[in-house]
Amino acid sequence: MKKLIIIPAYNEEKNIKQVADNLIHNYPHYDYVIINDCSSDHTQNILENNNYNYINLPVNLGIGGGVQTGYKYALQQGYDIAIQMDGDGQHDPKYLEEVIKPIKEGKADIVIGSRFIEKDGFQSTVLRRLGIKFLSNLIKLVSGIKVKDVTSGYRAVNRKFINIYAKEYAQDYPEPEALVNAAMHSAEILEYPVIMSERLGGESSISPFKSVYYMIKVSMAIILYRITFDKRRLK
Amino acid sequence: MNGILQTFLVLGILLYFFILLFLIKRRTLLLKYTLLWIFSGIIMLIVAVFPKIMISITHFLGVVEVTNGVFALILFFMLIILMSITSIVSNMKEKNKQLIQKCALFEKRIRELEEIIKN
Repeated sequence: MKKLIIIPAYNEEKNIKQVADNLIHNYPHYDYVIINDCSSDHTQNILENNNYNYINLPVNLGIGGGVQTGYKYALQQGYDIAIQMDGDGQHDPKYLEEVIKPIKEGKADIVIGSRFIEKDGFQSTVLRRLGIKFLSNLIKLVSGIKVKDVTSGYRAVNRKFINIYAKEYAQDYPEPEALVNAAMHSAEILEYPVIMSERLGGESSISPFKSVYYMIKVSMAIILYRITFDKRRLK
Repeated sequence: MNGILQTFLVLGILLYFFILLFLIKRRTLLLKYTLLWIFSGIIMLIVAVFPKIMISITHFLGVVEVTNGVFALILFFMLIILMSITSIVSNMKEKNKQLIQKCALFEKRIRELEEIIKN
């Protein structure tokens, strides 16, 4: 089974070397690809000088477009499993085996590394947790799937969803919407407890100012996605 | 606002929502850019169903006729949407320019590579 780790990176000059070296030295049976989303810092130099396997986007696309490029690459190269992992070192690759196990055994289409199952490690702020809980309930309401950590960017998908995500992937704040999309394609989704660390350096993609706007936007996007999804298109 | 105007306003807004959802379903509109349309639609619907809100606001602002207040509100939303479209287009223009420039740079590199292979 060919396994690919997709690492979206935007201005990650402080973290990307550590993340990539860890994967290369300690997890050599996984392939990886770093998607450099037109970073304005020295990320590209680091990728070039260290001879990493990377894709440079000529124009900044945002996290959704970046990750989707990774899925397109996985499809083109014929990978069986694709794992998304942030380029900032929040996601520990030591869980990789366990996260992809249900996919290997055919028990799940998508597995999400979740912070909130064992409530250990970096838990984010109270407000943000409340927001995630609200989104989690909203997704459960519209699509019937039960996922606690809906914004987690640590997820593994099988071949079926590499195909689907290569064709269609939400662009702005894609994690919650991609889950609703998966539910519409009747995915079997599991969560595996992981411990996330705080970012090593750099800045989070969502600033506190944007949080409220983010919540409204994502909620409406989820509801609209559900209302307008045409199941007939699948046939 | 009399009953007839109110009924037609509500019907008009329902048609507006129907077309909006139809376009999203056909995937001709990106969700991101429709949120403003939906938000304005919801506000207009609230005003049409509960005209009392509008009556007190127009009274406070010194607008004599309530219907003028409703028109002003719709005009306001249209201006906001137009502004957002200008910002979206400007953004696209900039990214398009970057893309063309990078494309040209790549083309030059390929030409130089071809020269090397030929010789």
